[in-house]
Amino acid sequence: MDKLKQKFIEEASEHVAEIEQSLLLLENDPDNPDLIEKIFRAMHTLKGAGSMFGFEKISDLTHNVENIYDLIRNGKLPFTRNIADLTLGASDLIRLIISEENQSEPATLEKYENMKEVVSNILSEISKGNATIMDEKAIDESLMATYYIYFKPGINIFNNGTNPLYLVEELAGMGKSFVLVHQENIPDLENLDPEYCYTSWEIVLAAETSVKTIREVFIFVEDSAEIEIQELSKKDLFENKKFLRKLEKFIPGTNEIGFDQFKVLAESSDQSVANKLKKALGDDYKKTVRDYSISSIRVASEKLDHLMNLVSEMVTTQARLSLYVEHESSGELTTINENIQKLSRQLRDLAFEIVLVPIDTIIIRYQRLVRDLSKELNKMVVFQATGTETELDKTVIENLTDPLMHIIRNCIDHGIELPDERISKGKPAEGKIQLNAFHSGTNVHIEIQDDGRGIDVEKIRTKALQKGLIHDEANLSDRQLYDLLFLPGFSTAENVTDVSGRGVGMDVVRQKIANIRGEIQVESQKDLGTKITLKIPITLSIIDGLLVEVDKTNYIIPLISVSKIYSIDHSAIENKFNNYIVLDEERIPFFYLREEFEAAKNTEGQEQVIVIQYENQKVGLVADAVVGEYQAVLKPLGKHYRNQQIVSAATILGDGTVALVIDTNRAINYFSKLITVEESL
Amino acid sequence: MNTDGTQKDIQSYLTFKLGDEIFAAHVSKVLNILEMMKITKVPKAPSYMKGVINLRGMVLPLIDTRLKFGMSETEFTPSTCILVLDINLNNESVKMGAIVDFVQEVIEISKDKIQPPPTLGNKYKSSFIDGMVKTEDYFIMLLNLEQIFSTDEIVSLKGVTSEVAS
Repeated sequence: MDKLKQKFIEEASEHVAEIEQSLLLLENDPDNPDLIEKIFRAMHTLKGAGSMFGFEKISDLTHNVENIYDLIRNGKLPFTRNIADLTLGASDLIRLIISEENQSEPATLEKYENMKEVVSNILSEISKGNATIMDEKAIDESLMATYYIYFKPGINIFNNGTNPLYLVEELAGMGKSFVLVHQENIPDLENLDPEYCYTSWEIVLAAETSVKTIREVFIFVEDSAEIEIQELSKKDLFENKKFLRKLEKFIPGTNEIGFDQFKVLAESSDQSVANKLKKALGDDYKKTVRDYSISSIRVASEKLDHLMNLVSEMVTTQARLSLYVEHESSGELTTINENIQKLSRQLRDLAFEIVLVPIDTIIIRYQRLVRDLSKELNKMVVFQATGTETELDKTVIENLTDPLMHIIRNCIDHGIELPDERISKGKPAEGKIQLNAFHSGTNVHIEIQDDGRGIDVEKIRTKALQKGLIHDEANLSDRQLYDLLFLPGFSTAENVTDVSGRGVGMDVVRQKIANIRGEIQVESQKDLGTKITLKIPITLSIIDGLLVEVDKTNYIIPLISVSKIYSIDHSAIENKFNNYIVLDEERIPFFYLREEFEAAKNTEGQEQVIVIQYENQKVGLVADAVVGEYQAVLKPLGKHYRNQQIVSAATILGDGTVALVIDTNRAINYFSKLITVEESL
Repeated sequence: MNTDGTQKDIQSYLTFKLGDEIFAAHVSKVLNILEMMKITKVPKAPSYMKGVINLRGMVLPLIDTRLKFGMSETEFTPSTCILVLDINLNNESVKMGAIVDFVQEVIEISKDKIQPPPTLGNKYKSSFIDGMVKTEDYFIMLLNLEQIFSTDEIVSLKGVTSEVAS
């Protein structure tokens, strides 16, 4: 039971999230019926499930909210901001209720009672205004029934120009129907008179109608035809699968079945399990089932982790096989190995794709954050996001949530000014926070830009001096000053607010981003705004790499950052103090890896220049040899190497040795810093 | 192997040699003893961090214990071994390999035989050593592996080496 309850809680949280998401979308598009429908349905599901698992409060609450949305859905109530606020409040409350072990925390209870009152107030106001709505609906519902109709037109029906088929069609059009045609009375061809009608019909009709209305269909043929109309059931029998199955067994042309037999059929099916279940889950049960196409399935994330691990192991094992085949070359084995290699590569790509999640999934909570926080701080802020379909590994996404949250909080709290201040600066009263996500090489960039007051570098400098972080005479660039923001305990906010300003923010943000091998950058202009750029690697698990050798040690360079490889003579890089080399008539700065890694330099022979795309320029890395392509399963280097700048991970090669994965961006950064330091000396 | 001994006061230690001196590590911290294998050097790392090896699919960092103790760099001989250690750093279990010159044996030491580490004129930073045991002809130093290999200590190695040097 606990497990089921856990499942309910999980699902309920998702429904709440879905409600929130739809609501926020609705604010921009208040007439979208799909969104209203979505909220309605989520509320409905919560109601049913809530009462099933003993969350009476949830089912009560959602019941009322659902009623509101039912009215909106039927166009009887406009969607307003008030309702949005109310619904958001209700979602919060639901979240609170499910998060509590016992449902009787006094604070929650109070909130619950308040919310209940507000909801019922709205409902009663509506019903005062439209007193008829509920009643009408009540009548409508009671009319839903299934009828049995027997129709045998008089044999001369064609004479007065009536086509009995039209009547049958008209009946069928009133609701859901099942039509059984009886043609057994049609005589042999030689006895047949084409002027006569020999056919009869039996119809099962489920519709919101009455015997009287049905009878009206036959108004012109009533006198000559045999007509029988009876109610089979007070319910819509077409919702009942068992009944439907039985109906389908009737073959056209068989003898007339008659009302009594249909009645027996209806009653026996009525007591079926399906019906009970339907009752328990509400009338929408069937509808939701039908709407639910199995285009995606839910999988526990541990299973995905396990899958990734297995695929990683397989890739490693496959590499061993390749190595073995190289030595024991036999035609057949080579082919098999190539196939396995191809398959494992596809499998890897697929597994890798499965664990990619669009940024979308976390954006929605920021919309909520911006909405609530700006209200709280009396600021006007819109939040826009582009490129939210950009995908990242799910573990990366998980680690991104908090840092992004913090950055956006900072934007609202420190960045965006109060509306008056903005107007006096000649800016629109409404501030804007823009989030852009896009691919850039092996990385995904996420930019968060606000149009607020920007970061005051002088303020940073003063603060840093106060805290003794920099010297008086230190001549720091703006960028270096921004970097100070990421130091622990550094906050320039004058007032410590509930939101930010406690100085635990930005250093944690940087740490968390660094944990997923990402980088963070700040750009700002006074009164124009601040842009924070996060550069995040797409994945943490497997990459396509180029295996190279430097001083008998293997290194992996991520293939995606490699643009070209040149083979040159050692003399070409000898005594180049400016570290530039000309390749394809292009001047490319290079780093001699042996030198950078403090290994003995070569004196002659061939060198391989691997040209890397680094930011907007090309940079060459000079290695001893290029071994080939390699699918590298990334393994952490461990705590002891956490300060490593050049190498981001390790991977195990087919022969069991370890190769180091070079983080090209950071490595080149590191190498070039060394140069600038040397130059400045 | 009985790691706890029959009585609580008796503890098992694995002894090994660095140069001529004998050290001991509590057996509960030693997972495995490996022969030397090909080490992948990690560039731009402190010299005592020898590199990494593949331990059954896991990347294991190796530390040159001699360098760590302010001795000369380990020369690899057939008796050079890697002790795979599982130590607890900041409540996190960390696996690492310590390169030693020679692995001797597992000995049982009763608690009352353990003497406090010398405080004066000691060659080694005393927080690294839990205690000393005197046998017939030599001293065995019982190491505090957590202290020695905690990441902080590795970072602040400069202080240690200068102390050793002074």
